[in-house]
Amino acid sequence: MSRRRTGLFQLQHRYAPYLFVAPFLVLFCTFGLYPLVKSVVLSFFITSGPASRIFVGLDNFRFLFTDPDFGRACLNTAVFAAFSVFLQLPMSLGLALLLNRKDLRGRNLFRLCFFSPRLVGMVFVGVLFSLIFAARFGLLNVALHRLFGASLETDWLNTKPLIMPALVLTSLWMYVGFNMIYFLAALQNVDRTLYEAATVDGAGAWQQFWHVTLPGIKPVAIFVIILSTIGSFQLFELPYLMLGNSRGAGDAGLTIVMYLYENGFVTGDLGYASTIGWTLALGVLILAIGQMYFTGTWRKEP
Amino acid sequence: MEPKPPRSQGPSAWESVKDAFPFGIAPFLILLLTVVSGLFLLAVTVFHGPAEGKAGLSMWTFARQHYVAYEKARPSFERKYATRLDLQSVHGDAVTRRLRAAYWANLDLPDVVEVEISRAGSFFRGPEGGILFADITDFLTQPDPDHPQKRPLIDRIVKTRLSPYTHRGRIYGLPHDVHPVMLAYRADLFEQLGIDPNKLETWDDFLREGRRITVPEQRYLLNLSRSGSWAVEILLFQRAEPNSPAGYFDADGQLIMDNDKAVDLLTWYIPLVKGPGRIAADPGMFGQAFAKATQDGYTLCSFCPDWKTWGFQHDMPQLAGKMKLMPLPAVRKGGRRTSTWGGTMLGMTRHCRDRDLAWKLARHMYMNKDDLGERFRELNILPPFKDAWDNPAFHERRPYWCNQRLGTEYIRLADQTPPQYTSPFIQLAKSKMGSVVANCLSAYDPRRPAGLREVVRRELKAAADDIRRQMKRNPF
Repeated sequence: MSRRRTGLFQLQHRYAPYLFVAPFLVLFCTFGLYPLVKSVVLSFFITSGPASRIFVGLDNFRFLFTDPDFGRACLNTAVFAAFSVFLQLPMSLGLALLLNRKDLRGRNLFRLCFFSPRLVGMVFVGVLFSLIFAARFGLLNVALHRLFGASLETDWLNTKPLIMPALVLTSLWMYVGFNMIYFLAALQNVDRTLYEAATVDGAGAWQQFWHVTLPGIKPVAIFVIILSTIGSFQLFELPYLMLGNSRGAGDAGLTIVMYLYENGFVTGDLGYASTIGWTLALGVLILAIGQMYFTGTWRKEP
Repeated sequence: MEPKPPRSQGPSAWESVKDAFPFGIAPFLILLLTVVSGLFLLAVTVFHGPAEGKAGLSMWTFARQHYVAYEKARPSFERKYATRLDLQSVHGDAVTRRLRAAYWANLDLPDVVEVEISRAGSFFRGPEGGILFADITDFLTQPDPDHPQKRPLIDRIVKTRLSPYTHRGRIYGLPHDVHPVMLAYRADLFEQLGIDPNKLETWDDFLREGRRITVPEQRYLLNLSRSGSWAVEILLFQRAEPNSPAGYFDADGQLIMDNDKAVDLLTWYIPLVKGPGRIAADPGMFGQAFAKATQDGYTLCSFCPDWKTWGFQHDMPQLAGKMKLMPLPAVRKGGRRTSTWGGTMLGMTRHCRDRDLAWKLARHMYMNKDDLGERFRELNILPPFKDAWDNPAFHERRPYWCNQRLGTEYIRLADQTPPQYTSPFIQLAKSKMGSVVANCLSAYDPRRPAGLREVVRRELKAAADDIRRQMKRNPF
């Protein structure tokens, strides 16, 4: 026994962990790390096929920052992200507060109802909402017409100023309930005795929310804000499906990832697409760090 | 009696085995499974090869209807050339993505592939040696080995249909279709409203009738896009003349989408879809909204290339005997009565192992007279191979279209089909044109129509300048 422990056993003890992580490492390096490194290299080239590439140094980045289409894509994506953070998350929090009330009848049913849009796939949602927003025959137009006598011809997905509201509405339908679950979980973890103490101290509902609830759910809130921001900057499937693989009227539906896709897989310049990808990644990273800094994630509690 | 010796307290065999694994047996088994399955997959890939590798030829098509038709033609090809064809139906978007990805990764590409017209140009982006498709110019220009007495194939194909697949003077794709555009109209409603299609010779005649019968929000004469480029490009191609090109690019690949013809067209087009003189609505050209608009008589006419007639028959069977086709109104009397919309090319990829066999496949699928006739009966697509046009199938009466001879109508217009020149930037140009339409529409104030021309010129120039910047960057 002791002989074994000093021979094979010792050998295994030293190398077995490396062996165990080896499959993951091999796969990660092949399908994760190598493409990442390759895309960094590609971002310094103009490309067209494997045999046709020309080194251009930082020209792709220079061109990117003067490219009006990229500017438009950034603006559209930023508007969408702003709606996600400033409209979607407060709505999710509001719903969570409402559905966290013990005196609400059928609250489990409501929770399921609000969460259920997330259960269906993005493709389904895209197709469904294309039909809802259709001009003349779409559910939304028919409803607005019956209720307010609005025109049936409002073409939500083909009218420049209406494209972003349509995308935001769809995204709200899909994600408000989903983010509500995070907030609900956080709310249930807030120490009830704090509310009791606050009530004894004479704090009103608003003061309780501001001084007890918000600090209690802060870590989760920061997590949700960062996730929503990153998710919004990666917006692709929804406009791709709802606008029929186009940028939408007046480029109003062009997002950064759509522009990346267009360059990489439609025009065939993977070099420029990589430049867009890395710029997006760096942008999101800076934004996430900024959010963490301003929300005091790294601030030490007194 | 001596007492039995106590049983050995040493480790059991199982414990001994367990001892040999300091992290437990489970992780080891998982590792073993991973390694064995990984090696198995590797072995399968190396020794067995991908499915395509076993066939004589592999072919991808993006249109479901094409796939069904080629499946029918496959057995006769396999018999004739004693080979096996691996035919695959791949979604239109996926064809481009998969071709590009496979080309980049040097993985198996199909030998032969069909690509949609607007996507083909993007494959011509690199230097000549880097283009994914093989040059088929020689196959087309050399004497036809099957019919040495006939002229080379290039002279027996509608010439303008080669333009989208020609780059720097070389041809990379065999056209599948002609796609002349006609107007599909509700014959029953035309009659009710007293519209005589024979009198709609020019767009001026058409507009006059349109303004007479249009009832805002209830009935429009035409289906036009308010945000996309498809309707504008149909009308733009119609205006092309030998010495005065119209469209996105000219024969040399120069961008012309902001020339005077485009400015004239858009200045004419925008008031058709906005303002008091409006005669057109935009229920789209596909799907349920389009079908409902046609059935309800909300829009009476739609642009209808040959391929779209199948869509009418398939999606709106209740309109059988109520639909008819007429040539497009001309820009001026005696002018071109058609345009073109859509198309497909068949290309051989550079990886094709047997180009002669691939060319035989192309000819079998695209130039077999009997098959083309049968295919026309099913899909209504007019092939560009003129030798096939005397097949009776192209001249049969169609009950759905009020007994019109569908093929005869399109054949009459085929040689007038305008060229549409391509470029690697064609998709970008189309997308920009859609934006120009939307922006002009937003800026157009029907109370001050005089300013429209300037708006159109400015928008077109801005869009074209963006594309030129991209083109200038392309070093290939």
